Amino acid sequence: MENELSRVVDALPGLVWTALPDGRIDFLNQRWCEYSGLSVEEALGVDEAYGGGWQTAIHPEDLPGLLERWRSILVSGEQGEMEARLRRFDGEYRWFLFRACPLVDTSGLVVKWCGISTDVEDRRRAEEPLHAPWWLRSSERERHFRSIGDSIPALGVLMTPAGEVELVNRQVVEYFGATLEELKGRAVGDSFHPEDRPDVLARWRASVEAGHPYDIESRLRRADGVYRWFHTRGFPLRDTEGRIVLWYLLHTDIDDRKRAEALLAGEKRLLDMVAGGHSVSEILEALCRFVEGTVSGCYCSVVLVDRSGTHLEHGAAPSLPAGFINSIIGRPVNVDSGPCAMAAYLNKQVIAADLTSETRWGPYAWCPMALAHGLQACWSTPISSTAGKVLGAFAIYYDQPRTPTTCEQRLIQQFTHIASIAVERAQSDAALKRSEAFLAEAQRLSSTGSFSWRVATGEVTWSGELYRIFELDEAVPLTKELISSRFDPEDAPFVREMIERARDGDVVEFEREFRLQMPNGSVKYVHTVAHANRDQNGRPEYIGAVQDVTERRLSEEALGKVRSELAHVARITSLGALTASIAHEVNQPLSGIITNASTCLRMLAADPPNVEGARETARRTIRDGNRASDVITRLRALFAKKDTTTESVDLNEATREVIALSLSELQRSRVILRRELADDLPRVTGDRVQFQQVILNLLRNALDAMSGVYDRPRKLVIRTERDEDDRVCLTVQDTGVGFEPQAAGRLFEAFYSTKSGGMGIGLSVSRSIIESHHGRLWAAPNDGPGATFSFSLPRAAKGVTDTHGLGVIRMPVTAARRVMRNS
Amino acid sequence: MVIRSLVSVVDDDESVRESLPDLLREFGFAVQVFSSAEEFLASDCVCQTRCLILDIAMPGMSGPDLQRELTLRQKEIPIVFITAHRDETVRPRLLEQGAVECLFKPFSDTALREALNAVFRLS
Repeated sequence: MENELSRVVDALPGLVWTALPDGRIDFLNQRWCEYSGLSVEEALGVDEAYGGGWQTAIHPEDLPGLLERWRSILVSGEQGEMEARLRRFDGEYRWFLFRACPLVDTSGLVVKWCGISTDVEDRRRAEEPLHAPWWLRSSERERHFRSIGDSIPALGVLMTPAGEVELVNRQVVEYFGATLEELKGRAVGDSFHPEDRPDVLARWRASVEAGHPYDIESRLRRADGVYRWFHTRGFPLRDTEGRIVLWYLLHTDIDDRKRAEALLAGEKRLLDMVAGGHSVSEILEALCRFVEGTVSGCYCSVVLVDRSGTHLEHGAAPSLPAGFINSIIGRPVNVDSGPCAMAAYLNKQVIAADLTSETRWGPYAWCPMALAHGLQACWSTPISSTAGKVLGAFAIYYDQPRTPTTCEQRLIQQFTHIASIAVERAQSDAALKRSEAFLAEAQRLSSTGSFSWRVATGEVTWSGELYRIFELDEAVPLTKELISSRFDPEDAPFVREMIERARDGDVVEFEREFRLQMPNGSVKYVHTVAHANRDQNGRPEYIGAVQDVTERRLSEEALGKVRSELAHVARITSLGALTASIAHEVNQPLSGIITNASTCLRMLAADPPNVEGARETARRTIRDGNRASDVITRLRALFAKKDTTTESVDLNEATREVIALSLSELQRSRVILRRELADDLPRVTGDRVQFQQVILNLLRNALDAMSGVYDRPRKLVIRTERDEDDRVCLTVQDTGVGFEPQAAGRLFEAFYSTKSGGMGIGLSVSRSIIESHHGRLWAAPNDGPGATFSFSLPRAAKGVTDTHGLGVIRMPVTAARRVMRNS
Repeated sequence: MVIRSLVSVVDDDESVRESLPDLLREFGFAVQVFSSAEEFLASDCVCQTRCLILDIAMPGMSGPDLQRELTLRQKEIPIVFITAHRDETVRPRLLEQGAVECLFKPFSDTALREALNAVFRLS
């Protein structure tokens, strides 16, 4: 029976086995052995490691699960099933269903387990797509991985949960230049850049432990030893129960992106320097260092074209020998003096790939000089402004012959672009600073500050000079109160009103002089002009200029004083010159008095006394005495220095007196005088003595002008009249030497004189006198010989009486106070 | 009847023209007055005038002008210049040019008398 049964069992078309109650396999049929390729001894032999030789035929992945399941069936004592892959004699694993049934004795104890293993490979293969992912379909895993893995543009690796390489795609093999077996033999992390390795391993362990996806950027060593940047992502692949069965790692080459990022970061750093106002040499030096750090093995330099555009000047060359750079600086910009000069001159890139065989720049022996410094290649690229002007040249040097690659050319383009931005910005900054400095200097020199005021936002900007004028600290914020506190109490309401009106939307423009009060009590005069503009949004913005005219005002006042002193001097000078004629005027009546008195005495002494004759001579004596007294009175009025007074003056009368005083002089000068004094002349208001001084001055000038004239009559016309504008006009016309029309303006300048003995103050003083009376004094050459001097004065207002009105006359003031409203 | 010598006075100043003739008449001269040199030249007194009392500064023709004019006409009339313009440099020049005297106004009757004495001593 034993044999019979044995034969039967062996002949069954299935893999049959039996086991002892404790689970040990004690029988495997013939087919089992044939299928697995194991002998009965091998299959039943107990090995400590395997727990049974048959286990070597079970797929290692499935064995733990199988054994666990088998133990649970044993414990249950009931029929059970399990699945596992069984290795065929040819090495192929196929899925089998293991079924086990207990043989029970009468007391219910299991005495034996009978089992049968059925090939279910086909069934599973049919079932798998429906419910299991590819990675769980062991039979298809590799095929599947290759079919997708080899076609993706990345390095794909399948790893066991323990972190060992299981499968790699073709790209991995190619990149690392190693077979799967070799890769499996490598230590974990061995392919990573040493700097990245610790981080990579720590992150990998963390992901494996937590079962989280893994994501890192790191450098991987290529077969040729070059490290490239990769972005690595790892996904855990799980079975139906959620256990991680595999890690799928994808390494994507991001080296180009990384370079671009580094380049961009470098550019940003440089542009930040540009924006931050670093000096151009600092920026260019940083640029050179950045290029040298990005393109390995090269040396960089930047040379600039100087302001004249004819010579090279130093830009930056942090890594090149000073001797080399110094022999380039200062060279003329032309085709001969070197590659950089040539690039700048032609505005074209100059590539000298091998200086040992280079023939250009012979006249300046550039190549031998470069070679002596160990340089063998030079690529020089012009740096141009946006307007196309060449600013300089950017050069890359190598210590061996080299031609730029497309990639390097692209980098060069980027670098020269940054250099051009830096240089152009620096130059325009410098120009701006210069122009700001000019403006500040101009403001300082002219004591003019400027301000702007945006009404809508209340934003006020003052120039430095304006702060200086107001004696305010630039660091202290400007407030309306602070500004108002500086204004003279009389002016402050006006300022406030202007501000209020502007706020209310009125367009307020004004030009006006203000007084400022400084904290030390001093007063400043500022001439202010404000003008409204519209900003981009159409809102009003005020622009204004404030000029400190204090000194001008003070000197005007001083000048006024000097003028009045001068007027006095002029009167005294006239006095000196007139002494003779004064004496003449007085002597005439005195002469009459003495002669009359003598005659009188003689008449009375006659016998008989001629009483009637004596009475007549005595009467004439008295009259002549009065005449002398009149002369003295007039002289006193003319030569007394006293503040000007204002009275109603008859210009005809004043003129007659002047003529009377000057008659003898006129006679002595043999001048024929014609008076044309208008009968209906209105009176004028002012200082009579000053008017007479002017008339006297004009008269004397006329006499002087005619003193050298012998070929024609010396004629003088003094005319008073009312002009078209109802002003009172006085004209003195002579037949003297006249003046050139172009000298007309200068005649009235102080100390300008055409006369050899003249002080040149008469006309200047005369004009200031007339102008201080709101009149005008001018000169014109005659049609014939001589000149005509005229002044006109406003007629006195009706009802004006003596000493009323002007009081002390001040010099003309320019402080026109004008308020205009744009309508 | 004593024929009095004619003294002509040429002066633009009215005071002089009014006062001087009376004094001259007191001295015993016949007197003619003229307010300008031109008036004197135009008169018929030129030939009769034995002495000319002549103001220096006058509008139009001056005293010295008249002197030159008379010399040109060969009328040698002794001249006593009078002037209200005291200029000491004028006197010697005028005397050099043939004037008998030059008196600065105001002058005393004695001074005038002496000048006239000089004139008539000469003649």
